[in-house]
Amino acid sequence: MLSLLIKKELKEIIGSSKFVYSFAVSALLILITFYVGAKNYQINKSQYDAAVAENIRSMSGVTDWRMINHKIFLPPLPLASLVSGISNDVGRNIGMQGRGELIAKDSKYNEEPIFAVFRFLDLNFLFQIILSLFAILFCYNAVNGEKERGTLRLVFSNAIPRDTFILGKVLGSTIALILPLLVPMLIGFLLLLVLGVPMSFEDWMKLFLIIVTGFLLFSVFINLSVFVSIITKNSATSFLLLLVTWIFFVLVIPKTSVLIAGRAVNVPLIDELNTKKNQFSMQLNREHFNSLSGFKPANKDNFMQEFQQFMEKNNQAREEKTKSFNEKLNRERINRQEVQHAVALNLARISPSASFSLAASSFAGTSLNLVSNYREQADNYQKQFAKFQQEKTGMTSGGGGMMFVIRTDGDKKPPEINPAELPKFEFKPASFSASLGSGLIDIGLLFVFNIIFFAAAYLRFLKFDLR
Amino acid sequence: MFRLLVEKELKNIIQSPKFLATFLTCSFLILLSIGIGINEYFNMMEQYNTAKNLAKTEMAQARSWMALSAKAFREPDPMQIFSAGVNYDIGRYSIVHERQDSKLQNSVYSDDPIFAVFRYMDFTFIVTVVFSLFAILFTYNTVNGERENGTMRLVFSNAIPRSTFISAKFVGSWLGLVIPLLVPILVGLLLLVVFKVPLSAAHWIKIIMLISTSVLYLTFFIAFGILISAVTKYSSVSFMILLVSWITLVFIIPRIGVMTASQFISVPTVAELESQKDSFSKARWEKHYGEIEKVWRARNAEMNGMSEADRQSYREENEYKWFEEDDKVRNEVQKEITEYSSKLSDDVRNRKATLENLALNISRISPASSFQLAAMNLSTSDINLKNRYEKEIQNFRQTFSTFTQKKQKESGGQAGMFRISIDSQSGVKISSGRDESSLNLREVPKFTQPSHTISQAVVPTIIDIGLMMFFTLFSFGGAFFSFNKYDLR
Amino acid sequence: MNTILNEKKEFPMLEAVNLTKKYEDGLLALDDVNFKVHQGEIYAMLGGNGAGKTTTINIFLNLIEPTSGETKINGIVTHQQPLEAKKHVSFVSENVMLYPEFTALQNLDFFTRLGGKTNLTKDDYRQVLLRVGLQEDAHSKKLKGFSKGMRQKCGIAIAILKNSPTILLDEPTSGLDPKAGLEFMTLLDELRDEGKSILMSTHDIFRAKEIANTIGIMNNGKLVMQRSKAELENADLEKLYVEYMAGYMEEVA
Repeated sequence: MLSLLIKKELKEIIGSSKFVYSFAVSALLILITFYVGAKNYQINKSQYDAAVAENIRSMSGVTDWRMINHKIFLPPLPLASLVSGISNDVGRNIGMQGRGELIAKDSKYNEEPIFAVFRFLDLNFLFQIILSLFAILFCYNAVNGEKERGTLRLVFSNAIPRDTFILGKVLGSTIALILPLLVPMLIGFLLLLVLGVPMSFEDWMKLFLIIVTGFLLFSVFINLSVFVSIITKNSATSFLLLLVTWIFFVLVIPKTSVLIAGRAVNVPLIDELNTKKNQFSMQLNREHFNSLSGFKPANKDNFMQEFQQFMEKNNQAREEKTKSFNEKLNRERINRQEVQHAVALNLARISPSASFSLAASSFAGTSLNLVSNYREQADNYQKQFAKFQQEKTGMTSGGGGMMFVIRTDGDKKPPEINPAELPKFEFKPASFSASLGSGLIDIGLLFVFNIIFFAAAYLRFLKFDLR
Repeated sequence: MFRLLVEKELKNIIQSPKFLATFLTCSFLILLSIGIGINEYFNMMEQYNTAKNLAKTEMAQARSWMALSAKAFREPDPMQIFSAGVNYDIGRYSIVHERQDSKLQNSVYSDDPIFAVFRYMDFTFIVTVVFSLFAILFTYNTVNGERENGTMRLVFSNAIPRSTFISAKFVGSWLGLVIPLLVPILVGLLLLVVFKVPLSAAHWIKIIMLISTSVLYLTFFIAFGILISAVTKYSSVSFMILLVSWITLVFIIPRIGVMTASQFISVPTVAELESQKDSFSKARWEKHYGEIEKVWRARNAEMNGMSEADRQSYREENEYKWFEEDDKVRNEVQKEITEYSSKLSDDVRNRKATLENLALNISRISPASSFQLAAMNLSTSDINLKNRYEKEIQNFRQTFSTFTQKKQKESGGQAGMFRISIDSQSGVKISSGRDESSLNLREVPKFTQPSHTISQAVVPTIIDIGLMMFFTLFSFGGAFFSFNKYDLR
Repeated sequence: MNTILNEKKEFPMLEAVNLTKKYEDGLLALDDVNFKVHQGEIYAMLGGNGAGKTTTINIFLNLIEPTSGETKINGIVTHQQPLEAKKHVSFVSENVMLYPEFTALQNLDFFTRLGGKTNLTKDDYRQVLLRVGLQEDAHSKKLKGFSKGMRQKCGIAIAILKNSPTILLDEPTSGLDPKAGLEFMTLLDELRDEGKSILMSTHDIFRAKEIANTIGIMNNGKLVMQRSKAELENADLEKLYVEYMAGYMEEVA
C-alpha cells in the first residue's frame, strides 16, 4: 500500500507540466553553477599564477635577500568557487617580511566591486533560494490540494490507514523531487572533471557532503510544506504562508541575527587597534634609534658584520616586544569576535537555511574559519621565511619601509639572488575531518528540523478533517 | 464604468486574505530594513569619527614632515540606508603618503567577516526581491483567473469594451498594491526624521527619486504579471511561468551578466599590479642609489689628499648642499615612480571599466538589475564609488606631499629619513637632520570628500529608469494587445 | 469479471442505526437516523442542501465519527473497524476532480490498486471505461482537460472496478447531461442486478423514483419519510417531497 502511494506521488509530480518547467530551470541552473564555478576557478587560478610568477619575477636582479618584496597569496580553492562563503571578502595578499605583523589585504570584492554588486551564483544560493522554492512549489498543496480536488475522500473510501497515506506523501515527494535533481548534479561533477578542476579525493568527499546537506535542507522544506498544507484549509493560503516563511528563513532571520549580535557584543574597532600598535611601534623605533648611537665596533675590520649582528639583536628584542603587545591586542579582539560570531551564528541557526549555509561553507573551507586558518599558516610561513633570511643574510627584514644597502666603499657588486631558493608557501585547506567536525552541528540541526516538521505533519494529519 | 471596474479590482485585492499577510510582511520588512539602515549608518558614522580622531593622534606622533602620513577616510553617506551597494565591500580609508600608493583598504566585510556571512538586507534588496514576488502573487491570475471563475463571461455579457476591462485591471491592481506599500515607506521616512539622520535637500530629492524608481519597478512586475495572465489559459500555468521568470530576472540574469563579462575580459589582479609597480620602483631606486654611490665616491674623491681635519671641515661645509642635491634627484625619482604607477593603475582601471560596462549592460536585460543599479547610483554606493574616492585621494596625495615637501625644506635637514653611515674610522653616525620636536599640524591640508552632485548621481540612472519604463510599457502594451484577442469563453 | 453473488445475505449490507451527529458548533446534522439497504437494493436519499445526506455518507466512510449510533457496512461497524469496513465499499462523489496530471487510465490504475485489486490489466480498465461511456480516445488523456461529465464517468469506473458489494454515491448525476444521466441509471440497474447494495444521495426525484427500491427523504438531519417502491407506486413523489420540504420551511420560519 505504501509503495503504491509513493509511486502515485512520483507519477503525479514527475508527470505534471510544472515539473517540466521547474525541473528544466533547476537543472539548467545546477549546470550553470558548476560550469561557472569551474570557469571562475580557472580565472582565479590564472590570476593567482600570474601574481605568483610576477612576485618571483620581481626578485630577479636583486642582490640581497633583505631587499625582496615578497608576497604570499591565498590560492583559489576548487570548492570555494562552488560555495563562495566569505572567500571573496577576506584579504588574499600578504606582504611577507621576516618579522612584524602580517596583514592580509585586497579582498576580491574590494578589488573588483562589480562582483559584489550582484554576488555569485553558487551551490549555497542554489540550495538556499532556488531549490527550497522548488520544494515549496511542489508540496504546498500536498494535502489540502487533494481535499480541494475531492481525491482525499475517494482515497479514504478505501482501506487506507492515515499514517500510511502521510508517510507515502512525504516519501513519495522527497524521492520524486530529489532523484531527478541528482542527474544534473552528476553532470555537474562531470563538468568539473572535464574542465580539469583539480579536485582531490577529500574535495570530492566534501562536495558530496555539501550536496547531501543541501538535500537535507531540501527535505526540511518538503516536510514543512506538507505540514503547512495540513494546517491550512486552502492551497492558496498555504502557498502564501510558506512563501512568507521562506523569506524569513532565507533572508530575515540570518541577516537580523548577525545584526543583533553586532549590537549585543561590542568588538573594538580595528582602527583603534592599529593606532595603538602604531604608537607602540613608533615609541620602540625611537628607542631603537637612540640605542643605535651607542654602537661601538670592537673590531674595525669586521665592523659591518658586527653592526648587522647588533642590529639583528636589537631588532629581535624589538620584535619580541611588538609581538607580545600586538598579540595581546589581537587576542582581545579575536576573543570578542568569537563571542560575537557565536551569538550571531547560533541565533541564525533558528533558520534551517542558515544552518545549511554554515555547514556548506564549513565543508568548502570558506566559513569564518578561513580567516584564522589563513592567518595561522601565514604566521608559520613567516617563521620559515625569517629563518631563511637569517641563514642567507644574518638578518631579517621588516618593521615597515624598504631596506637598501648602499656601499660607498667601492666593493664589487654582489651576486644576484636565486628566487627559486625561496621557501614556497602552500596553503592547506581545513582537513576533511576538521571541516566535518565544524559542520556536524548544522547537519544535526537539519536532521532535527526534518524530524520536527515531519512529526508535526504526521500528528496533525491523524486528526485531519478529511471531509 | 471604468471606475466601477477599478473599484472592483481594488476591493478584490484588498479584501483577499492574502493581502493582509503580504501587506504586513512587506511593511515589517521595509521598516526593518530602514531601521537597520539607520542604526548601521550611525554606527558607521561613529566608527568614522573615532577613526578620524585616532588618525589625528597618530599624526601628532610624527617627528618629521617626510615621515608624516595621513589617512583619508570615506565618510558614510546617509543614502546607504536605502542601498548599501558596495559600501561594505570596499575599503574604508586609504593611507596617504608621498611614497606610498594610495588605495582604499580595510573594508567592513574584511574587518568583520561575520557581517559578510549573510550580507546586509537593505531597502533596495527588499524591493528587488520581495516587492516583485508579491506583485506576481497578486497578478498571476488577473485575467485567466476570471475566465476560470466564470466571471469573465458574466462581465462581458454587459456592454464593456475589452480595452476598458484590461485598463481597469491594470489601474486597479496598481492602486491596490502601490498605495498600501507607500504607507510603510512613508513611516520609514518618518523614522529618518525622528532619529535625526542628517539629510540635506539633495538627499531628499534622491530619496524621492529612489522611491519613485521602486514604484516603477513594482509597476513593471504588475504589468508583467497581467501580461502573462493574459497570454495563458490557466492560472496554474501563468503562475509557473511567472515564478520561473521571477527567479530568472531577479537572481539569475544579474549574476550571469557579471560572470559572462568576466569570461571575456581578464583584468590583472591588484597583487600582480602591485608587484609590477614594486619591481619598477625597486629597479628605479636601485639605479638611483647606484648613481648616488658614484656621486658619493666622487665626493669622497674630492677629499683625497686632504688631512683628516680638512676633510672634516670640508664635509661639514658641503654636507647640506650635498643633501639638497641628493634630495632633488630623489624627488625626481619618486615623481617618476608615481607617474609610472598611476599610468599602470589607469590602464587597469580602463580595462576594468570595459568589463564593468559590458557586465552591467548584459545584466540590464533584467529590470531587477536596472533597478538595483539605479538605486545604487542614487545612493552613491555604486561601483564607481571606489574610483571616485581613489581619484580624489590621489589628488589629495599630491597636495599633501607637496605640502610636506615644502615643510620639510623649510624645517631644513634631509629627506626625513634617518641616515646611518658607517665608516671604518668614525664608526656609526646617525643623522636625522633636524631636531625632534613635534610638528605643527595645523596647516596640514585636510582631505575633502569627493564631490558628487545630484546630477552626477541622477544622470547614470537615466538609462536604467528608461529601460524599466520601456519594459513596463512593453508588458502593458503586450497585455493590452493580447487581451484584445483573448478567448473569453 | 463481475462476480454475481450467489446467495443473498440475510443482514443488511448497509445500515444506519440511531445515527446522530452533532458538530462542535452545536449544529445537529443528523438526528437519530435509521435505515437499511439489503443486497441487490438501491436506497435513494432525497433532501435539500444541508439536510444531512453527505454527513451520512461521510460517517459511512469514517471521514467523521458519529456522536452516537453507528453505521455498518457488511455488518462491520465503520467507526470501530474503519479499514475492514472500507474493504467492502466503493464511493463515487459529486464532481470529483481526480488527479489532473494523471490520465484516465492512470487514475483508474491508482485507485483500483488502492482498493486492493492488483491483477487488473489496461484492457480491463478500457473495458470498464467504455462501459461507463467514456470514448476510447480519451482514455490516455490527462484529466485536467476533461469535462465534468467525463470526470464523473471515471469516478464511476473506479467504483465499478473495485467490485465491492456496496457502493456509496454522493450526488452522482449532478453535472451529467440527460443522455449520460440515463446511461448512468442503466448502469446502476445492472449493478443492482449483479447484487450490489447501493446508497445514493440525490436531488433528482424522478430518477430516484424510477430506480430506487427504497426512498428516504431527509430534512434538517432527520429522516422524515421512508417508503418502498411499492408503497410509492401510485403516490406523487414530487408532491410528497414538496410537502415535507414545506414542513421544514415552516419549522425554520
